[in-house]
Amino acid sequence: MNLPEGMTLLHAGSVHLAADDSEGPSLVGSRCGGCGLVVFPAMPVCPRCTANGRMGEARIGRTARLYSHAIAHVAPQGFVAPYYQAFVELPEGPRVFTLIGRDVPVAPGQLVDGAEMRLVVEPLADTPEKRRLFTYKYVPVDRQRLVERDRAASGGVATHA
Amino acid sequence: MRDVVIAGVGAHATGHFTEKPLKALAHTAIWGALGDAGATPRDVQAAYVGNSLGGLLTGQEGIRGEVVLQHSGIVGIPVVNVENACASATTALRGAWLEVASGAADVALAVGVEKMFVGDTARTIAALAADSELELSDMGMQFTSSYAIHPKINIKARMREYGWTLADLAKPAVKNSFNGSLNPLAHHRKPLSVDDVVNSRVVVDPLTLYMCASISDGAAAALLCSANRASRFQKRPVRLSACVLRSGVYRLPADGRADSAEVVAREAYEKAGVGPEDLDVVELHDAMAPAELMLYERLGLCGPGEGPRLIDEGITTLAGRVPVNPSGGLCSRGHPVGATGLLQIAELVWQLRGEAGPRQIARRPKVALAQNQGGLTLGQESAVYTATILEV
Repeated sequence: MNLPEGMTLLHAGSVHLAADDSEGPSLVGSRCGGCGLVVFPAMPVCPRCTANGRMGEARIGRTARLYSHAIAHVAPQGFVAPYYQAFVELPEGPRVFTLIGRDVPVAPGQLVDGAEMRLVVEPLADTPEKRRLFTYKYVPVDRQRLVERDRAASGGVATHA
Repeated sequence: MRDVVIAGVGAHATGHFTEKPLKALAHTAIWGALGDAGATPRDVQAAYVGNSLGGLLTGQEGIRGEVVLQHSGIVGIPVVNVENACASATTALRGAWLEVASGAADVALAVGVEKMFVGDTARTIAALAADSELELSDMGMQFTSSYAIHPKINIKARMREYGWTLADLAKPAVKNSFNGSLNPLAHHRKPLSVDDVVNSRVVVDPLTLYMCASISDGAAAALLCSANRASRFQKRPVRLSACVLRSGVYRLPADGRADSAEVVAREAYEKAGVGPEDLDVVELHDAMAPAELMLYERLGLCGPGEGPRLIDEGITTLAGRVPVNPSGGLCSRGHPVGATGLLQIAELVWQLRGEAGPRQIARRPKVALAQNQGGLTLGQESAVYTATILEV
């Protein structure tokens, strides 16, 4: 994917936007050539073995597992409450603070800790200050299935394939 | 290193003071400490001034220490500006302690001051978020969330693991609101019930409004001198037995290392030659009330998950074996971030001297601990941890 015209990436270099859309975006962290630790964001010194200059680029975090989440009902300038705050655990090791994709309704029960998530790249927030800044967020892989299950459970009709 | 004592403390009331700039808040605290000791500006040979948000919120980005000290008549000495988020004031205290302990000065002043009411709450919240590493604050991370879901404390996980209820999370706020109701310097002086706390509006689930420290203006100061000069001043000296400062570590998932709050507390106990069982009073960093329950464990006051029991059994109440946050703590006394560490110290000095008025601990305390921390880094711990032990 490419960013739309006139948009910029928050924290340049933190996200790899693959030219081939089938691969999808990834986070850009570091892998230690000494002890193998993977960290995000990238660092020049390994926080585990303290080797300097052995950290190589690592494209990580296409998927993740939801570690914890909460709904914030107050927001700093440029953000709109309510909004999610979350941590995800990447299969490569790091635990990362993240926002949740805008398509996920901000309401209790929409997210489940431990759920499988996937990376999306979208505007930081839908506000004049932040909508031209793009960043990584995560969304549940199975949300569509969950939504349909909930509709079925409540007697509604699932209309999505 | 020489033995160091606190000769005097002073504080400005904590609250909403629209008309008062940083230097006016600091003036009350500085002259409070000088007056307490019976000292004059000329006695002060070095000063450390802690403040966190003054640059962003007041526009006074540089020389805040020199500005507030000159306004109070203290000039022509080494002045060091200290910024260390919510632990700025304790970091200033450690600077003043080093001056005296090393012999560089016989008398040194530590000041902490913060002005958070600037007429725009969103701007204050954004400034507070800037005490986190930019990669976190840029993403809209807030300190409240850091308590709710952050790996370092993760209250939601503790609720699952320990079976803590919302009422348990409210208990420190209820206890501390009673203490704060007895403190004329406290920002919030209304005693709260568990229902009041649980039913106040949700800020970040599961944390409700009354579980969160509010925005406050405030200031505090302490005058330190070498133990052998203490007789120059009028009040009973309080020994500064340990003042430990450490940055947080870069915490890895499945990290077996003890939390840094525990590490600095152990170091302080060792330096002072005391243990948690010797403590008679504690002021700790309850920026979110449930953090107090976790800190009981990390300071060695109880085992895993036992925090609510300490309050249920009255152990940490004002009449208990080891009262915690007699001032009202961060949620009731208030949390003017760059002043908080020295507000804790002022409270403990008053308690140790028997000068705390209606909230005085009846069985006069002899050993006190102040625990203060601040900031948040990508290393998934707070940025700064401190533990200070005072004795009479």
